[in-house]
Amino acid sequence: MTEPAAGAAIETEALVQRFGAVTALDGVDLAVPHGTVLCLLGHNGAGKSTLVDILTTLARPASGTARVAGFDVVAEAHRVRRSIGVAGQFAALDERMTPRATLVLLTRLHGLGRRAAHARADELLDLFGLGEFAERPLRACSGGTRRRLDLAAGLTGRPEVVVLDEPTAGLDPVSRLTLWEVVRGLARDGAAVLLTTQDLAEADRLADVVAVLRRGRLVASGTPGELKARVGSRSVTVRPADAVQAEQALRADGITPAFDPARGTLTVAAASSRQVTDVLRALDAAGIDPGELSLSEPGLDEVYLALAAGHDTVRDVA
Amino acid sequence: MTAVAEQAAERRELARGGGAGIATQMGVLTVHAVRTLLSDRRLLLITLIEPLPMLLVFGQALSGLAHVPGFPRGVPYIDYLVPALMVTTALQTGLQSATRLTDDLNGGLMSRLRTMPLWLGSVLVAQSATGLVRGLVRLVTLVGLAWLAFGFRCRGGPLALLLAVAVSMAVAWSLGWVFMALACWFRRGDTLQAAAGLAMFPLMFASNAFLPVTSLPSWLRVVAEVNPLTHGVAAVRALTLGRPALPAVTATLALTLLVTAVAAPVAVRRIRRTD
Repeated sequence: MTEPAAGAAIETEALVQRFGAVTALDGVDLAVPHGTVLCLLGHNGAGKSTLVDILTTLARPASGTARVAGFDVVAEAHRVRRSIGVAGQFAALDERMTPRATLVLLTRLHGLGRRAAHARADELLDLFGLGEFAERPLRACSGGTRRRLDLAAGLTGRPEVVVLDEPTAGLDPVSRLTLWEVVRGLARDGAAVLLTTQDLAEADRLADVVAVLRRGRLVASGTPGELKARVGSRSVTVRPADAVQAEQALRADGITPAFDPARGTLTVAAASSRQVTDVLRALDAAGIDPGELSLSEPGLDEVYLALAAGHDTVRDVA
Repeated sequence: MTAVAEQAAERRELARGGGAGIATQMGVLTVHAVRTLLSDRRLLLITLIEPLPMLLVFGQALSGLAHVPGFPRGVPYIDYLVPALMVTTALQTGLQSATRLTDDLNGGLMSRLRTMPLWLGSVLVAQSATGLVRGLVRLVTLVGLAWLAFGFRCRGGPLALLLAVAVSMAVAWSLGWVFMALACWFRRGDTLQAAAGLAMFPLMFASNAFLPVTSLPSWLRVVAEVNPLTHGVAAVRALTLGRPALPAVTATLALTLLVTAVAAPVAVRRIRRTD
């Protein structure tokens, strides 16, 4: 048996999945090299979980091919299973077990001896800040704890390819940061990570490559920067007492705001934080209190709107 | 990039060693399943008091059957009844293994195991082994209670009693595989229960369990004679009554092996499917 090339941890070609009359995946081509985090963006029903199920050998594609760690997900499913770590949308755990027992069991099933399994479990409990809940039955643990344990469980086998299906949904901000660090760490160590999310900010923070899935098709892919450039930039919104006066003050400074008369707000595109400061400085110089101030990032909705308005199947970066 | 490729290769080597051997998988999963069973205090308590109503109700309500034609002379009804209860306990134990399996199949851990480099038959073997532990606890409780409180005696001596428990366990083991195959087919606990309920009563009552086959109406006698449970009860009963048991025991063990040889591969083949 020849060694698979180390360059392509996940590769799909013309991948199609159907459920009855519904086409859940409609010809997906994807490549994730080692040491890379790919964030797969898409709304509910876009096909993210369908793709995850195929890559993790839980479902067979209707047509097309998928290779994970160099192995075909259908013909060489067992070898794929040796190489992957999975954490799902729904905690794949036994409610009656404690976090430590769960991790020890899974690690032992990966072939480690009792002592090594306990050491690995301790390591993972520590990494995910689960130490204080280690001996508590899972049914008595919070949702966040379960999610963290699920992620830890996905890493028991030291996987070469990690597939995470909406891993941060329902996590508190601190757990989220921990997860992001772990994901970046995995990529640094040479693993390939495919992470699905509905959150563009998360993709922005983590991804080397972002791919957008809509109705079973990849409608865009590229670095977060490239994608955002297509979607539009960050914007700053103020709500001064007198919006008309404020608008004049900004225009006098060469800034063009968008006025929303219904809300009495002024919005200015601000790609850099420098431009945010410029807006505040201009208002300050005119002696105007900005009132409410908010910054908004382009969200997944904007990505969709932009992509819907534009071409349907643009792929900027392979 | 080369550094990344090297690290990836290293991870792959680590992963390659990964995946426990099948014996280890079975061992680890069995210990886990047995531990889960024993940690369920309420279930254990119920298991321990379970034979009491059966012994009371059947022992009292059916004791008049000791006078029907064909009933062995001079045998107290309780001595006739306990072997039947041992085999029906085995039947229920087999069903419980399958019910626990449907819990596992629908539980979260199973979907994780599916993505791991495992032979999923290990899950079935672990459940089967756990069923044996549970069956043993139930049989020992049943016999102990019948002995202490209901005057049951084994006329065949202690060795025959041990053999009777062993034959009952073999029946539990083999029926466990049948019900587990059904569980892998139906997937849902309630569907399984309904199907099992359908089979359970004919199996239990169209048999020699509670009264001699010869006292049954002739059409029912035909059913009872092909009912595998009849053979199991005949074997266990012959042992505890101290009668020649070898033909019945051999027939029962052969039947359990045959049934398992058919059911186990079906279960193993079905469990990987997700439908």
